[in-house]
Amino acid sequence: MEPETVPQRDVLMEVRNITLRFGGVTAIEDISFDILEGEVRAIIGPNGAGKSSMLNVINGFYHPQEGEIWFRGEKRKAMKPHEIARHGIARTFQNIALFRGMTTLDNIMTGRLTKMHRNMFWQAIWRGPAEREEVEHREVVERIIDFLEIQHIRKTPVGRLPYGLQKRVELGRALAAEPKLLLLDEPMAGMNIEEKEDMCRFILDVNDEFGATIALIEHDMGVVMDISDRVVVLDYGRKIGDGTPDVVRNDQTVIDAYLGVAHE
Amino acid sequence: MLYRETGDFKVSYRDDQQTFPIIQDRWLFWGMLAVAFLVIPFIIDDYWEKSIVLPFLVFSLAAIGLNILTGYCGLLSLGTGGFMAVGAYASYKLMTAFPELNIVIVILLSGGVTAAVGMFFGLPSLRIKGFYLAVATLAAQFFLVWLFNKVPWFYNYSATGQITAPERSIFGFAVTGPEATPAATYLFCLAFVTVLALVAKNLIRGRIGRSWMSIRDMDIAAEIIGVPPMRTKLSAFAVSSFYIGIAGALYFTVWFGAAEPTEAFGINQSFLVLFMVIIGGLGSMLGSFLGAAFMVLLPIVLKNIMVGGFDVLPVLAKHVEITLVGSLIIFFLIVEPHGLARLWSIAKEKMRLWPFPH
Ligand SMILES: Nc1ncnc2c1ncn2[C@@H]1O[C@H](COP(=O)(O)OP(=O)(O)OP(=O)(O)O)[C@@H](O)[C@H]1O
Ligand SMILES: [Mg+2]
Repeated sequence: MEPETVPQRDVLMEVRNITLRFGGVTAIEDISFDILEGEVRAIIGPNGAGKSSMLNVINGFYHPQEGEIWFRGEKRKAMKPHEIARHGIARTFQNIALFRGMTTLDNIMTGRLTKMHRNMFWQAIWRGPAEREEVEHREVVERIIDFLEIQHIRKTPVGRLPYGLQKRVELGRALAAEPKLLLLDEPMAGMNIEEKEDMCRFILDVNDEFGATIALIEHDMGVVMDISDRVVVLDYGRKIGDGTPDVVRNDQTVIDAYLGVAHE
Repeated sequence: MLYRETGDFKVSYRDDQQTFPIIQDRWLFWGMLAVAFLVIPFIIDDYWEKSIVLPFLVFSLAAIGLNILTGYCGLLSLGTGGFMAVGAYASYKLMTAFPELNIVIVILLSGGVTAAVGMFFGLPSLRIKGFYLAVATLAAQFFLVWLFNKVPWFYNYSATGQITAPERSIFGFAVTGPEATPAATYLFCLAFVTVLALVAKNLIRGRIGRSWMSIRDMDIAAEIIGVPPMRTKLSAFAVSSFYIGIAGALYFTVWFGAAEPTEAFGINQSFLVLFMVIIGGLGSMLGSFLGAAFMVLLPIVLKNIMVGGFDVLPVLAKHVEITLVGSLIIFFLIVEPHGLARLWSIAKEKMRLWPFPH
């Protein structure tokens, strides 16, 4: 086997010995892996393997019974999800979780909430500081809208958009927070080839241009092999493989558990 | 195609974020404001004041308040009557304890007191939502009315248990008490409504409004993108109660001049305001006004037509009114949750394209 050719990078996040149980069900069992600064890290595995649960642990929505999470060189204390968001972790959801009654623009603007600070007094007056702040952030959001090519649906309530566009808006909302670490839960599920290609391009560009480190869950192996730097493989809540796409693809345990069987 | 955005290009984000982005709406707004401030004061009489205009203004404020909580933040409340009572009793205590205090300050402070009480009763919303929260606010409603009935301190130990507003004036014009003229009370309430409606609009279009709506639409996602649920829900309760408290204070001081908790601030009042919000449009500022106007005018119009025009018994007219309101609630809840405001915007949409069908 050829030696790993991953360039030398700093560790952004390290999950250590995480175990997560729901009553009798062990969703995640003693899993450890790291995410390097600037990489695209894929998490794969069959249905029910614990992938979404892992993301939920990382953004503080689930609290694991055991294990620790190290982020930017520090052990993370127990935090609420909204505090973790403020520390630079954003995500999208497997089942789209947009604010359906709001427009595309408002959804993405909401993603910048953690960066807006004018208090209620200034908001009530509006003219002056609050309005200036709004315009400032609107400019950033418009750049994201341009980048994702969704100018035409700016003022459309997202509930009326087709699935593929909703996924894109959700990515936009996550991007708006300018996260250090971006978690994407099946960003391409249910898309056709063209939409998938667009989404791949957006993800790679986000990684390049916005400098975000990305951890993504994806079932389409072709996509995973194309865009990820390293892959973690989960099965029944355990880690059964970890390495570059090539290494993982040729790993016998992984093949037996996952790649060998027809998926979906 | 007189009503349109075409040709009215927005050249900056600031323009795009205006209160009324469409120029015709802006004219309409300024026109109405001019009539409201410059014409109506000269023609208003006692009947119009007490039966139509003050009810409309006071209930508009209450409806804006409830709409912030229920329409924008998605938290259902049946405590509106109780919170109005808090505003009323706060203003009464303030007026009697500090006779020198300017009435504007009294009203604003009453709103502040109600905001604090509202936040307290909003605490359960951190744990429960929907039906259970509605029941919790219902408990607040009954508790508050009971409190103002039972504790004599609130009504200054008066023999009747009623509270009566002493006379207060601004710029030499009485706005409370028997001497107040219709024009003075009207302008006083109108000034509050105008300023507070603009403030509400400002809050809604910015960061705070978006955080409320994000909690309404998908609270889990909101939290994960950094919206603190506790702060956000409590701020909705605070702002909402502030508005409702001011509505209650104006209701007591300016409109009726006297009040008795069970009659004035009972559960019926909570439902009345809730119906205004539903019929007018959940999550719409315009809807709050339309709903208030509708619910204030409906009984008057029906009575005039049925009793005045067709000699129907007043009791029957009342039944017809209740039935009609009930059917409308069902209609709007099922068919058009965004209420009259949405119907209005559909009409505008049509006008924008007119005379072309598409
Ligand atoms: N909130 C919960 N309560 C109880 N069990 C849960 C909960 N969330 C996840 N689980 C269980 O944990 C296990 C892992 O689920 P998870 O959603 O993480 O899988 P996944 O790898 O994302 O699968 P998929 O590919 O279907 O999305 C499953 O057995 C699931 O039933
Ligand atoms: Mg999943």
